[in-house]
Amino acid sequence: MPTTITIDPLTRIEGHLDIEVTVDTVQGQPQVVSARSGGSMFRGFELILVGRDPRDAGIYTQRICGVCPVPHAMAACLTLDHAFGVTPPDNGRILRNLVLGANYIDSHLLHFYHLSVLDYIRTSGPPLDRPPWLPRYDVGDMVGSPTADTLAQHYVSALQMRRKAHQMGALFGGKLPHVGSFVVGGCTEIATAEKITAFRSLLTDIRNFITDVYLPDALLLASLFPNYYQLGRGPGNLLAFGAFDLNASGTSKLFPAGRYTDSASGSFDAAQILEQVTYSWYTDASGNKNPAQGVTQPYADKPAGYSWCKAPRYANKPHELGPLARMWLCGEYNHGISAMDRIVARAREAKKLADAMDGWLNGLVPGAASYAPSSIPQQATAMGLTEAPRGGLGHWMDITNSHISRYQVVTPSAWNASPQDNLSQLGPIEAGLMGVPVADTTQPIEVIRVVHSFDPCMACAVHVIRPGERVGESRVLIRGGVTGAQKV
Amino acid sequence: MRILRRDFLKLAAAAAAAARLAPAALAALKDVLQARDAPRVIWLQGAGCDGCAVSLLNSINYASVDDLLVNTLDVRFQNNVMAAAGDLAVGAAEAARVQPGYILVVEGAIPTGASGKYCRLWPGLSMADGLPLYAANAAYIIALGTCASYGGVSGGAPNPTTAKGVSQVIGNDPRLINVPGCPANPDWLVGTITYLLTNNQVPPLDANRRPLLYFGRRVHDDCFNRHKLCGQPVLAGQLSSDGCMEYLGCKGKKTYSDCPMRRWNSSGPGQFGVNWCIGARSPCLGCVNPTFPDGMSPFYVYSPTP
Repeated sequence: MPTTITIDPLTRIEGHLDIEVTVDTVQGQPQVVSARSGGSMFRGFELILVGRDPRDAGIYTQRICGVCPVPHAMAACLTLDHAFGVTPPDNGRILRNLVLGANYIDSHLLHFYHLSVLDYIRTSGPPLDRPPWLPRYDVGDMVGSPTADTLAQHYVSALQMRRKAHQMGALFGGKLPHVGSFVVGGCTEIATAEKITAFRSLLTDIRNFITDVYLPDALLLASLFPNYYQLGRGPGNLLAFGAFDLNASGTSKLFPAGRYTDSASGSFDAAQILEQVTYSWYTDASGNKNPAQGVTQPYADKPAGYSWCKAPRYANKPHELGPLARMWLCGEYNHGISAMDRIVARAREAKKLADAMDGWLNGLVPGAASYAPSSIPQQATAMGLTEAPRGGLGHWMDITNSHISRYQVVTPSAWNASPQDNLSQLGPIEAGLMGVPVADTTQPIEVIRVVHSFDPCMACAVHVIRPGERVGESRVLIRGGVTGAQKV
Repeated sequence: MRILRRDFLKLAAAAAAAARLAPAALAALKDVLQARDAPRVIWLQGAGCDGCAVSLLNSINYASVDDLLVNTLDVRFQNNVMAAAGDLAVGAAEAARVQPGYILVVEGAIPTGASGKYCRLWPGLSMADGLPLYAANAAYIIALGTCASYGGVSGGAPNPTTAKGVSQVIGNDPRLINVPGCPANPDWLVGTITYLLTNNQVPPLDANRRPLLYFGRRVHDDCFNRHKLCGQPVLAGQLSSDGCMEYLGCKGKKTYSDCPMRRWNSSGPGQFGVNWCIGARSPCLGCVNPTFPDGMSPFYVYSPTP
């Protein structure tokens, strides 16, 4: 007898995502036989931005997400740099990279220790033996003492390390979350010798933690749950927009743009991105368009719709974005594509990035200019591509009469949590859930683990929806969780 | 690694001193924390970005977040950190709600359009309905961040979801304290909770229900950029340079907060922050103001002369 489980919404993610899976027994094993990822909504930020001063774009778009604000600031500033025709001085480019890197490290530590690890451990003593860590699930394969106790202690020390990552980013960002220093033309903060030293001191502590604690813990988890190397594969296609410019022209990047489609590597061209809406609550006129021509007309009662996310596709195929894609495409990870590969690749990426950041500090010229003035163009069309911790991020902007006339944001979670497309191809999380065994449909922890491995950031997906029956059933920024198993 | 209660008290003493609490209040704080169970907290999130929750994770000056979570507070519902999901999580929130006397923290605005359907706490309960329900039994209500306090960016024009601040939904309730900011500085929240536990009453508030302790002085008056270079006012010619940025869009003259002194992202107990917006040579955005963002933007102006 098939059982439908609605997980709406999951906790320990950023924002809201509803997952509905049907579990049935196949060859004696209860497993997911269908999956729907119902992403949140139509984003109001694009409406809120229209008519505003283009220079303010980074201030607003950071507020899309308190967990990954810096990538939004970076994407907005890259877009504005192009539109205004200005190239930041080298110090400005490097400072932006360092602050973005600080946000990555914060986010990766947060993801592993504070959003994910609780899916795998059964703690019975301090420090996690009280609310908000109680009540919790208790599933057969969860690891108990003493491993759970060690990971719980590291949960606490990781809180301190991620705080240091934010402190590091604030040295050049002004504050975190939501930096003040990212502007068109560079970064307003100046890299003094004192600040460079302070940054390096924090970075050294964090690098030691990554090497001595985070990476070993990720590998430990992988050794305890090797079956998750076989689960959550998804479409098997990987895509990166590229990030962390290593030269002024952006032709060299720490993480290059690229793709891995149908088991073959290929180049990346943003013109190949099309957003589909066949199963999304938007009019057909909103579909089959590149974000540069993006149209967003809600259609709440669309019969086939089940998500407020559009379905972005590259060359008409679903692709996974994120640390695994970046590490795969830069040639430093090729173990496999799975839930556990995502966790391990994320940890390895944290180390690679933190090591690179130490080198970038050497490229700063103390006291040198980091900002180049420019003026607002009357008309412009521009695009800014970068990578958030959880995958490629794009902003597209039109400027008319020196004001924003159109703004489109496509987030990595829009790709990973997308619904089916015009060819009825599943989105990456949906595809990743197919075949996942579920031992206890009242505690579908296996489903939650696979979803968490993608690190979905649905706070990035929201803020405006149209009234409608389904809205009342599906919408929320953040909250709740598994509503329990409902027998069909 | 577990932090002992006496360590918290030590930290809290330093913190309270920094927050200018009297010695008698310190003794009271110690009594309160030793005599009682940890204060229960229910944290509801509406239309926001989670940034205020992430900001609390940066707490260290008054008390570290691990200390707050592990030893000090009894957080019954907080979506980003709680282990439970679904029915288990909702059950925890409901069980806490029926016992009056908790601190209700509200993060994010309350979308009131479409009968509240834009934002739902869990199946069957919209944020717009959940706020009064959970406010009913609260000892205190803290609207955390500018979205929860006044609508904030979530209510930016054209405000398609009719997003409102807490006071616009439940009125100027005597238990309500607005702790705005985009995000709110963690010290403002921890200091406010400390005040509540110590004094068992809301702190002195301004007309916008903000604690005067943190929002009582104008940014411009305490800003180091105002009288740089031998006390002579210097105007910044462009972003990223020294001097007052009033003519570059800085909202320091319209904004009351202790950012110039407190700064952001503190490095340790009793430590002020490592930087702040103006410290990074960028203008104050006026993010703690009730009219943020519409009344505070455009944020940048390129006219470096009066």
